[in-house]
Amino acid sequence: MAIPESALSQGSPKVKPESWYSFHVDEAPAGDRVERFLAAFAAILHYGGYRGLLDTYVAALGRCSRCTVSCPIYQVTGDPRDIPCYRTHLLLDVYKRHFSLSGWVRSRFGHGRELTEELVDELAETVWRCNACRRCSLECPLGIDHALLVHLGRYILSMARIAPKALQVSVREQLEGKTRNTSKLPRAALISNLEFLEEELEELLGLPVRFPVDQPGRDMVFFCAVSDYLMEADTLMGNAAVLFAAGDAERWTIGSGNFDAINYGLFYNDWHLERIIGRLMEEVLRLDGRSILIGECGHASRSAKEYVPVFGGDGAYPVQSITEYTYRCLQAGRITLDGRVITERVTYHDPCNMARSGWIVDQPRAVLKSFVKNFVEMEPHGRANYCCGGGGGLVSLDETHEYRMEVAGRLKAEQLRQTRANICVAPCANCKKQLKELVEHYQIPCRVVGLHDLILQALVIPGATDPRQRREYMATQLE
Amino acid sequence: MDAWLELARGPLFAATFLVMVLGLVRQLGMQAVQLVRRRHLLRRARWRVILGDAFSWSLPLGHLVRGTVVLTVVSILFHLGVVLVPLLLADHIAMWERLLGVTLPKLSVGVADLLTIVAIACALLLLAYRTLVPRARALSRPRDYLALVLVVMPMVSGYLAAHPAWNPLPWQMMMLVHLLSAELLFVVIPFSKLSHMVLFPLERLSQTYWQVQPGAGERVAQALLGEEARV
Ligand code: HEM
Ligand code: SF4
Repeated sequence: MAIPESALSQGSPKVKPESWYSFHVDEAPAGDRVERFLAAFAAILHYGGYRGLLDTYVAALGRCSRCTVSCPIYQVTGDPRDIPCYRTHLLLDVYKRHFSLSGWVRSRFGHGRELTEELVDELAETVWRCNACRRCSLECPLGIDHALLVHLGRYILSMARIAPKALQVSVREQLEGKTRNTSKLPRAALISNLEFLEEELEELLGLPVRFPVDQPGRDMVFFCAVSDYLMEADTLMGNAAVLFAAGDAERWTIGSGNFDAINYGLFYNDWHLERIIGRLMEEVLRLDGRSILIGECGHASRSAKEYVPVFGGDGAYPVQSITEYTYRCLQAGRITLDGRVITERVTYHDPCNMARSGWIVDQPRAVLKSFVKNFVEMEPHGRANYCCGGGGGLVSLDETHEYRMEVAGRLKAEQLRQTRANICVAPCANCKKQLKELVEHYQIPCRVVGLHDLILQALVIPGATDPRQRREYMATQLE
Repeated sequence: MDAWLELARGPLFAATFLVMVLGLVRQLGMQAVQLVRRRHLLRRARWRVILGDAFSWSLPLGHLVRGTVVLTVVSILFHLGVVLVPLLLADHIAMWERLLGVTLPKLSVGVADLLTIVAIACALLLLAYRTLVPRARALSRPRDYLALVLVVMPMVSGYLAAHPAWNPLPWQMMMLVHLLSAELLFVVIPFSKLSHMVLFPLERLSQTYWQVQPGAGERVAQALLGEEARV
């Protein structure tokens, strides 16, 4: 099957329909890419512990075609290369041909699929157009997690220096740059941003709600997607307000040494993944904190939740997402939300990284339903939700805008339109960015906000302004 | 002919059956080794979800999602025949008793006939699906068609052997075909995707592979990019 000329070989950023899928690699890769791919694959097999997985999948893959109904991308394109199982096969073929005995034997008789330049291209195309949303794992009778092989494929490619530039540049800044975060936000800018937010909060609530920075010995050290500090003021203010209202104002802190929870490693590279998690833990250690609190972000929450215990060992810091935290506060009666404030029709978008494993599905709904009268679900939702179309790091690649709008996010937009909701809540920095672009692209009359944006409006705090006044104030601010 | 039949019934059956059992045990053993290697990760596995999913797929009535309803129903009916008839048909029960010394409950002849016919029909539908529906054809490889053919052969020949009125061949000949095709299947099962009959609950655990080994990334980077590896 021929693949469209990719941006890889043609090196031009012009978006043609056929090159929707293409991504832009970091540096013009020199040398033989087949060789580099195989070298990277070999090293990862040797050290990485993926062999058992691949052997299992080789033995099990059923090719039954059920995953076609679960993949939102295949449903839009109808292109066989977008079938999860098809893509998994590409990688498994390479594995079998080059790294298993039977493959070697077969190759002596002219069987098996030799890795070629074209196949490297096709692999790169297919793994980078996937949202890594893991929806296909739900409808696989054998529970094959195709997104895990996408992760592995991207890992191999990126170690062969074939990876999107935008991600590489961000991770490089985060791990090796001066600012230590993906948005290149200097410490001084963070501090002045926080001061601004504190002033805003004071105006809004009539109370001095603070963003503590570098306070040692606190229970919770807070990390959010660093882009929140630049773009999601309401979410952050909502986070601080809940912590304040719950009586935890003195129990949390932001660390100025590392305040970025974004972990693109989860999407494409185990090496980065581990180093970024290491950075989180270092900061908590430096501040003598006791646990990690992750802001509204799906992949950041999942990467911390799953990998802090992996890399931190038995005594690793506990991790919770702010969504869980707020839910627990509500359950324990530590915060109250005013049911009169939000009158619009509200829907909830599940970030895949929170919902797919069944981890955070009910909690945000319980919080929302406690104060939103007019709540409506998308269909399907919860564990079976559709990805926003920006998953797997794609939302950070501006070049993929057209692809994300026309292909990956198309079903989501349709779903959202059908709810006729005025507000879509998405507790994830990446989802919010993509959804905002989607509602604009498809002209859906719906506002995309974070969970704590709404909470900020409805939170009842003794001594603070009445939520209804607050709402008016925020409405004027919005204009 | 009788000598051939005796061979297929006796030593060949035992040998191929043994191959299947050992092959499947090997597959399970490999899975067990993986599990032991990853035991420290299993503690954090979401057991409720993993077991729930595996269970729900054993009889996937909860998975009649749009687009797979027909496929699911056909697949369930197919599996019903494929699993029950080889085990519980009256003639097979006698064989299991002779061979393994276990006595299984027996299917009535009518039910067994029905299950077999339905399973054959469903297998043909699955074959048609693979051949005719583009998304399935795109995924299919020769061995996928072959697997279905291999599974159908013993069912067809068994049915014909049991129903002389339909049988175009001498009974002994048909029985020989039945036995040999079943024995071929035994040999193929552990080395093909048909091994899912024992492996299928275990694959769910591949979720735990998301939890990579500490330090592995660093070593990979150093091996490929040198001591001073940078992003
Ligand atoms: C014992 C329990 C078994 C379970 C739980 C099981 C489960 C499954 C599942 C989940 C699939 C996936 C695809 C689908 O549903 O279309 C499948 C496919 C299949 N199974 Fe089984 N199976 C079992 C036993 C068997 C046996 C004993 C055979 C025959 C020897 C068999 C032959 C097949 C074949 C040929 C397919 C592929 C159908 C296709 O072309 O899509 N299965 N099985
Ligand atoms: S992970 Fe999501 S986008 Fe990728 S193949 Fe599976 S369903 Fe499709």
